[in-house]
Amino acid sequence: MGAMANRRGFIVTLLMLAPSTVLIAVFLIAPMLIVLGYSFAGRDAYGGIVPGFNLDSYRELFQPLYFPIFWNSVKLAFWNTVLCVLTAYPIAYFIAFRAGRFAPVLLILMLIPFWIDFLIRISAWVVLMGRNGMINSVLTATILDEPARMLGTYGAVLVGLVYAFLPSAVFPIYAALQPIDRALLEAGRDLGAGPVQNFRRVTLPLSMPGVMAACLFVFVPSMGVFAIPVLLGGGKSIIIGNLIVQLFLDFRNMPLGSAVSVVLLVFSSLGILLYMRALRRVEAARA
Amino acid sequence: MSETSVLTQGQKTRIWIEANLLGRLAPAVTLLAYLFLFVPIVVLVAYSFNASRSTVVWSGFTFDWYGEVFKDRGLRQALQVSAIIAFVSALVSTAIGALTALAIVRRRFPGRDALATLLLAPMVLPEIVMAVALLVFMVALNITLGYFSMIVSHVLITVPFATLIVRAAAASLDRRLEEAAADLGANEWQIFWRVTFPLLLPPIVTAFLLAATLSFDNFVMSTFTSGVGTTPLPLRIYSMLKLGITPKINALGALMVLLNVLVVVAVMGRHLKLILKK
Repeated sequence: MGAMANRRGFIVTLLMLAPSTVLIAVFLIAPMLIVLGYSFAGRDAYGGIVPGFNLDSYRELFQPLYFPIFWNSVKLAFWNTVLCVLTAYPIAYFIAFRAGRFAPVLLILMLIPFWIDFLIRISAWVVLMGRNGMINSVLTATILDEPARMLGTYGAVLVGLVYAFLPSAVFPIYAALQPIDRALLEAGRDLGAGPVQNFRRVTLPLSMPGVMAACLFVFVPSMGVFAIPVLLGGGKSIIIGNLIVQLFLDFRNMPLGSAVSVVLLVFSSLGILLYMRALRRVEAARA
Repeated sequence: MSETSVLTQGQKTRIWIEANLLGRLAPAVTLLAYLFLFVPIVVLVAYSFNASRSTVVWSGFTFDWYGEVFKDRGLRQALQVSAIIAFVSALVSTAIGALTALAIVRRRFPGRDALATLLLAPMVLPEIVMAVALLVFMVALNITLGYFSMIVSHVLITVPFATLIVRAAAASLDRRLEEAAADLGANEWQIFWRVTFPLLLPPIVTAFLLAATLSFDNFVMSTFTSGVGTTPLPLRIYSMLKLGITPKINALGALMVLLNVLVVVAVMGRHLKLILKK
């Protein structure tokens, strides 16, 4: 009787887990393995896959044509991460320590951009930064003689990226700051630590896991973005995401496109690994 | 000597300066950042009512651009595609998410934590790589791109969110209610449909709405998994944007902002009420 109930319980558990396991295995892991296989395959004249094993696609990526794209992606992702984290920290700090009863309102406001269609938000910036856009009309009325070129520049892409990723940086930092025991800060104050010292020695170290999570959430996805460089950068500041779109949808070069995707996946996995190692170090230092 | 003179006058001055610097910096940055986030959206909505084609000069109030949006057959078709996909993928994703969440919270089985982590993979992996992988997979299996491939791709990226929401709610559910039902002679099936499910319905609805919004707004997955004749709204907007901005896009954007805000209010209405009452 007991064994039968046990066996029935086991079957129920299996049935409950089956849909998500099948989903991940069939539509995530299997496709990724195919991409990995294709990245080592050959290619016929029409872009079709020729079974085989060679490193041609990876070798091609090191050519001067593609290498700048990788460098540009890492650079843009880096500056985006720096700007997002530097801006997000004071925001999260304010919400966690100073905002009082307005904190939930500020948090919900920070969530709204998440819910508004990404392209619509970016299109707002296309309008603002256009040659005859609002920013230019303010600038020409005050300090400039001629409208400045904003759309199609590196700076415009960076503004778009910060705009898109800022909320992703605020939430993890807030989550790390919020539970900090206020008594620790008081203790620091009683021992003569000024606000800066208190911040540097108490608040900042305790919030480091949140800062690292923010870096992860901003850095990894910003390399795969492709709409922002097209719409705000005029297609000149190309990054890995654009390369993947071009190779798959325009050139139909699946082996090379697969190799680029594998490289992006390796970058992201490295980011995740670094994050987990740093997190462990922080936790070990605290214990 | 008073007992407060542990700190010298110099130290006190430094603390005062530091406190003011830090104290002002955080609110100033916060204010600027919120302006940075919201001014573009406000401008977008405001200029959707502008009578001229200009996106700078204000020349009177009009609803004409909204009329243009509704007259556009391509947009209507794209809206229909997006709505169907958002509904179906949110339904599938919520069902899978709820089952998984209940299994993780309630069932004991080996490798539970590892599985729970693995299921979150679509949240951290680069979306474009998953999209490309699905495209390659569909092509390799000779599956025509269209509703099926797009729904699969949207389910894949929304399931982790649905699972997390239901999981958090299931973990805080009072188990004594189910035990009481069992004591009263209800079988497992009855307990689930009469007790557990009704209690979990609000988070399940939240998960559904979140999944539907994420699917409706999804752009990266759809770029690779949509087929001929099944262009969803975000892809349509993207090709319109590439051709140039018109107030029609502003009007469409304003409509989508309205839709998204309505969903937020529907989801967070209860929380908002609680906050306002305080």
